[in-house]
Amino acid sequence: MDADAHSEKTGPGTVDGGAGSGGTRPGTVDAGAGSGGTRPATMDAGTDSAGTRPETVDAGGPPRLLVVDDHPIWRDGIADRLAAAGLPVVGTAGDGAQALRVARATRPQVVLLDLHLPDLGGAEVTRRLLAADPSVRVLVLSASGERQDVLDAVTAGATGYLTKSASLEDVVAAVRAAAAGEAVFTPGLAGLVLGEYRRLVTAPEKETPRLTNRETEVLRLVAKGLTYREIAERLVLSHRTVQNHVQNTLTKLQLHNKAQLVRYALEQGLG
Amino acid sequence: MWRAVGVYRLIALVYAAVVIVRDHHRYAHPGGGLVALTVMAAWSAPATAAYARAPARRPWVAGADVAVAAALILATRLVDTAARIDHGAGTLPLCWAAAPVLACAVAGGPWAGFAGAAVLSAADLLERQALPRNTFNGIVLLLIAGTVGGHVVRLVLRAEAALDRAARREAATAERQRIARDIHDSVLQVLALVSARGRELGGEAAELGRLAGEQETALRTLIALPPAPAPDGRLDLRTLLEPLAGDRVTVSCPAQEVLLPEAAARALAAATGEALDNVRRHAGPDARAWVLLDDEGEAVAVSVRDDGVGFAAGRLTEAAEAGRLGVAQSIVGRVAELGGEAAVLSAPGRGTEVELRIPRNEVGHHGR
Repeated sequence: MDADAHSEKTGPGTVDGGAGSGGTRPGTVDAGAGSGGTRPATMDAGTDSAGTRPETVDAGGPPRLLVVDDHPIWRDGIADRLAAAGLPVVGTAGDGAQALRVARATRPQVVLLDLHLPDLGGAEVTRRLLAADPSVRVLVLSASGERQDVLDAVTAGATGYLTKSASLEDVVAAVRAAAAGEAVFTPGLAGLVLGEYRRLVTAPEKETPRLTNRETEVLRLVAKGLTYREIAERLVLSHRTVQNHVQNTLTKLQLHNKAQLVRYALEQGLG
Repeated sequence: MWRAVGVYRLIALVYAAVVIVRDHHRYAHPGGGLVALTVMAAWSAPATAAYARAPARRPWVAGADVAVAAALILATRLVDTAARIDHGAGTLPLCWAAAPVLACAVAGGPWAGFAGAAVLSAADLLERQALPRNTFNGIVLLLIAGTVGGHVVRLVLRAEAALDRAARREAATAERQRIARDIHDSVLQVLALVSARGRELGGEAAELGRLAGEQETALRTLIALPPAPAPDGRLDLRTLLEPLAGDRVTVSCPAQEVLLPEAAARALAAATGEALDNVRRHAGPDARAWVLLDDEGEAVAVSVRDDGVGFAAGRLTEAAEAGRLGVAQSIVGRVAELGGEAAVLSAPGRGTEVELRIPRNEVGHHGR
């Protein structure tokens, strides 16, 4: 759950020479483990380098971002918009291999990952990014209509999913939440995760994870577009409990996926 | 097909040649047999070529073909001796005469095949002026060959055409999917970017962004393949619900197909569409809506929730009594017809939620 604390290290971002200079932020951003806010709420003030971007209003150390997308116009467009919104993009990459290289060099906290890459699948990139740095948060930002790919990336460890039609506001909020270690649960992702649990009920595999009734209830409400606060109100739960339920549904799937990979490796004699 | 007729014609020609050369000294006019053979050989080549290369002229060629064969059959009486003919000797063209019949069958189907065979049979009878057993057999065989041959050819051609159409359709679908993927990965994303950026910038840029957004939606609709049922007649409900998504409508589905009998899927999708229409009409201008498709295995549930103005519980019955709730009634009706149930929940200021649930009663169609 620790956000990495190596933020002094800066790397040569492929886009951003400016914001990379001089430590981007002093402290860790890990608000998720402690306080119960929806927002990461990192109000630790005053990084001097934040002023390199005129539009940067939020002086609290913004998370370092890597944007991975094979479409140059889109990639540069979203990078510019995020930078304008006060989120420094420390690097960009056009394919999976490059993403892994740039991630090693720039140590991003959050990777915005398009699933449609010319070389590697989104799930594979996610797995390798996390293997190289378990503290990195992978946020899938992809066109709609690739549901299975999204689900694969999320079970491989991605922390959330937004469609490319999401507003910049939503993307910024999602990046901040991801940096804080929260799962970014859009209604679309909730629908996918719910569907996956429904599938697992009838799947031939043994020891598949199940949802508790409460978790199912919460997940359905997220899929119906209710905010955590509205869900908490409706079910008479604390906001924090709702958040934990949602996080659990994802964690169980990811653990199951990991266990399956290990089992497969052992069976193949690779373990 | 025409090659087969050509090969038959050639083999029959060789056979006729052997017989004529062997027997020509017994003919009343030995030279006549050789002349007939030359005519057959001379006609065979251009006829075969014409059939193969000029599809438009096939009926004419077939007619001429039949005429030549009939003339040769009739010429038998001039060439051969009456004794041999009465004794049952073959006509000059022998089985070569079947080639034009087959040609008629291939070119024009069973009736043309039958007609060709009938003309040649008549010539045969005229030449014999009697109906010995083997001539009778020959005539029957010729008529059958013409009719059945024509019929089989029709079937084969039809099957070939169907196969061709299917292959074309498949190729077109694959190509369309490829183009759709490309457009999805390139143009659509840029349009989405322009639309979002325009809205952020505001002013005139917002107008441009709005236009780009409209084009994005239009293009997305254009490249979307129409929902098609699986071979077993079931339809993936997702393919019907996904197009309902839009600026203010989010549609959440599982990654797996949600298969339902086509009629049930369409009725459920129509009910969902009506619920969304209701949102647009009554929930207020800023209301957003969320559609959730949940495949519970035993049942399929679709919920439509909005964050609009909502209404008090009593108002639903009031409205129903006043006959102003046509739409909601039709939603409930549609779902009830499928053996399912519909529930409407609302409170003032808290939006409205419509839950549609239909059971899956068919055995073996559970899960997924």
